[in-house]
Amino acid sequence: MFESFAESLVEAFGQVTYILPQVIVLIAALLAPLLHFATKDGKIVAGASFAIIAISAILVMIMMHTVTYGTAFGMFEFDPFSSLMMLLFMAVAFLTIMVSPVHVETTKHAGEYYSLIAAIVAGMMFAASATTLLAIFIGVEVVSISSYALVALKKNDPRASEAAVKYLIIGAFSSALTLLGMSMIYGVTGTLNIETIGAKVAVMGANWAFILGCIGMIAGYGFKIAAVPFHSWAPDVYEGASTPVSGFLATASKKMGFAVLFKIFFALFVIGSTGVFTLEFQYVFAIIAAITMTVGNLVAISQSNIKRMLAYSSVAQAGYIMIALAVMSQYATTGALFHMFTHVVMKGGAFIMVAALITAGLGEKIEDYKGLAKRTPLLAAAMMLFLFSLAGIPPLAGFTSKFVLFSGAIFVDGAVSMQWMWLAFIAVINSAISLYYYARVVKTMYIEKPACDDKIVVPAPFMVAIALCVIGVIVLGVYPEILLELCDKAAAALF
Amino acid sequence: MDIPILSLLVIIPLIGALVTLFMGGQRADKAKYVAAVFSAVILVVSLFLLFSGMKNDYDFSQFDESYIWFQAAGLQMNIIFAVDGLSILMVFLTALLVFLVVMFSWHESDRPNYYHALLLAMEVGLMGVYMAQDYFLFYIMWEVTLIPMFFMISWYGGPRRHYSAIKFFVYTHVASVIMLIGIFAVVFGAQAGVPGIEYISFAFDAVRDNAAFDTVFQTFFFGLLFFGFAVKMPVPPFHTWLPDAHVEAPTGGSVLLAGVMLKMGSYGIIRICLDDKIFPNAMEFWQPIMIGLGIFAMVYGAYACIAQNDLKKMVAYSSISHMGMVLVGMGCNSVIGIEFAIFQMFAHGIISGVLFMVCGIAGHNFGTRDMRLLGGLAGKFPVYALFMMFGFMASLGLPGLMGFIAEFGLLYGLWEYLAANNLHALILFGLLDMMLTAGYYLWAMQKTLFGKETDKIDLSHCHDIAKNEVAVLAVLCALIALFGIWPTLAIDFIMPFAGAF
Repeated sequence: MFESFAESLVEAFGQVTYILPQVIVLIAALLAPLLHFATKDGKIVAGASFAIIAISAILVMIMMHTVTYGTAFGMFEFDPFSSLMMLLFMAVAFLTIMVSPVHVETTKHAGEYYSLIAAIVAGMMFAASATTLLAIFIGVEVVSISSYALVALKKNDPRASEAAVKYLIIGAFSSALTLLGMSMIYGVTGTLNIETIGAKVAVMGANWAFILGCIGMIAGYGFKIAAVPFHSWAPDVYEGASTPVSGFLATASKKMGFAVLFKIFFALFVIGSTGVFTLEFQYVFAIIAAITMTVGNLVAISQSNIKRMLAYSSVAQAGYIMIALAVMSQYATTGALFHMFTHVVMKGGAFIMVAALITAGLGEKIEDYKGLAKRTPLLAAAMMLFLFSLAGIPPLAGFTSKFVLFSGAIFVDGAVSMQWMWLAFIAVINSAISLYYYARVVKTMYIEKPACDDKIVVPAPFMVAIALCVIGVIVLGVYPEILLELCDKAAAALF
Repeated sequence: MDIPILSLLVIIPLIGALVTLFMGGQRADKAKYVAAVFSAVILVVSLFLLFSGMKNDYDFSQFDESYIWFQAAGLQMNIIFAVDGLSILMVFLTALLVFLVVMFSWHESDRPNYYHALLLAMEVGLMGVYMAQDYFLFYIMWEVTLIPMFFMISWYGGPRRHYSAIKFFVYTHVASVIMLIGIFAVVFGAQAGVPGIEYISFAFDAVRDNAAFDTVFQTFFFGLLFFGFAVKMPVPPFHTWLPDAHVEAPTGGSVLLAGVMLKMGSYGIIRICLDDKIFPNAMEFWQPIMIGLGIFAMVYGAYACIAQNDLKKMVAYSSISHMGMVLVGMGCNSVIGIEFAIFQMFAHGIISGVLFMVCGIAGHNFGTRDMRLLGGLAGKFPVYALFMMFGFMASLGLPGLMGFIAEFGLLYGLWEYLAANNLHALILFGLLDMMLTAGYYLWAMQKTLFGKETDKIDLSHCHDIAKNEVAVLAVLCALIALFGIWPTLAIDFIMPFAGAF
């Protein structure tokens, strides 16, 4: 049944089939403001956006199931990797849209809000599927510019405005760096297609312009993934933006940065197998990864605002995922992709929890969480699961994904390698350090006396979203087979 | 055998933990009955396991279970459970101690449903660690024990419980993740590039069958695994979490912590590090270190005991000393060393149960465990004094009781090793330990039980120990005497395993 459907799609749309999911999401972006204008009801807009994105997600799944892979116009490739990343982005979008209608700041600007979310998702999907530097750049820019606006949407809050301006300035700077790097590489190789670049450099060898170009892109996209030393915007933006948006940015837009980095650098250094300077760049990534996770975790310890703590923990998680860039092996990339998914449910869940508690009148300080277990036992238990999962306590999702990811630093290209052993050590020690600040929040929730005994009631959509994340945290931890297999296929498509 | 007995040992406490967890509000008082039933069932199942193994010439292979958990990304995780001479006594000990702890804490009134849920959750992890034959499962179970203990200490513990609980959690977790790197290296190293292996299996057997490491590799990763296990045991200088955790933990938590959780460390060393298919050459480097650390732990632990005023802290340090003895036995890597190391794990599990319960009763009934404040208890509380004396005597190695057999065997194993290496004089440290041990126990008894009745605390309102406490202590003391007089009862279980060394 699905096969004939996919065939008829390809027959009807030709190459456009392979960008059809993105196009559908773009329709949502265009429709949302119109719908809001027509109905003046934020919930309808949310429902419509949700439904349209869901159609796109189902389409992606059908195309994956029927192996309808291909390239549109030589620019956008629908393959196991990009399709999996699309599902990830859309999953985050679902969670965000689900909790948005009950979040106060979104009601007035529902049209803009859902339009921006859909535009960001479409941009991410384009970026993840792009095969040329220019298409990647455009996709990333769509995401960036929409994100600035999304952060600034809470315009009466000076913190949000500050965050948006900071995000804009730093983001513009990083885009400029990226563009500079890309133009240098174009100048050297005369092509924008990533794989052709890899092949050309393999023949002519790397020169200084190529290296500078790579450095420019690493710095530019380093901002996007909030790798140290390009991370300074992240805590301010996550703190200033409204919490569902913070969760959206922390879980989705970082993943896009990684998707792009994986695509570009694996193509340049592994498929093109330039050989020249590969090792040097691997060490650059390894050192950035080590510094990123260490700084993220150490700074997170001293945070008293839970959003900032989660922001720094996101920085640390980006460091873990960067292990795959350092090792440049299919197995480590499988782990990285899998960790991205588990990160969505655990970090996304934690941010949604914070948003839910803000809606219920709780503050953003960690000390506001005192005695939460008495006031709302179920939510406190869910939060504990998210935090322990982030710390990598088995049998939760975060453990299983870190298990694969960290072992990727040891098991390289079919043998136990001593080359990245130090990175694995730094990673596991960091993971253990992170337990300290996660356990502290758990302690605050469970052991300290509450300031008041009022029961906490949160709106139903939050409960649904949190329940979904809890299920994800447990199921991905205990039975990861299906997703892990998909991640393996996606990673294989990159190599 | 169609009934998956070993899986039941994990599943039953898991169900029990979930049931008690949700018995909030009015039903919380009933949680102890549920916990008692579940832990009693587990005890019965484990006894059944013991006896059917006994009938079957101490062979437990009929109970082996093996399922594939998942296969993905070139990895294969399995759920494999098995017991053998090394683990059967630990499985029995876990079942026994959890049941006795439930009985002992019968009158726990502070959120009893959570208390019992934590006990049963701990039992899940402990049973899993002792039965798992797959590295992934083993590690998960290893970590699963941490969370209930963290809550046990931080909810039901003493005044410095917050600090102790987090310290315990983070400290032992750091050790676990370092052990994890060792596990990665061993699992991937053994099977990488072996023709015909499509999925890298985390099963113990898959690693044992394919391991062929060079000496440097063995020495290094033996070290990582050993570190992970040694922190759990704990071996000085990595022991500092233990006195804190023990002093702050509630009595039930302490009993399980000393009785079965510390044994996870020594169990792991025997099971993985001393496996001569994985690490045939590593002991050349590590044997002297293990013996040296063991002797140091013995003497240091005993020496630290002398300086303690808190009864419970003294018992905590004595655990370090006794686990040091286990380390010495493992370091010998001989039949007699392993045999009595396992026997000592079993013996210490039972004896430390008595010791921690006695300390807990002191804190509960007399309001303090400070030996400077206590005195002359024997006159007023004869039953209490009897159990305390019995426990102390068993722990210091009085002939006829269980501790004596274990210590005698271990010292003999040490002597064998020392004599073979021309280090005869070092046995004096063993004797020094015996002397110090006798010293601090006798001294503690003198200070608390005998002499003039204390006037620093008011004993007039204090009552002697409760009936359920008497029953639990009597069971443990009877076992101590039984295995002291008839040690082959336990050693027959151990020998099929230890004889292979």
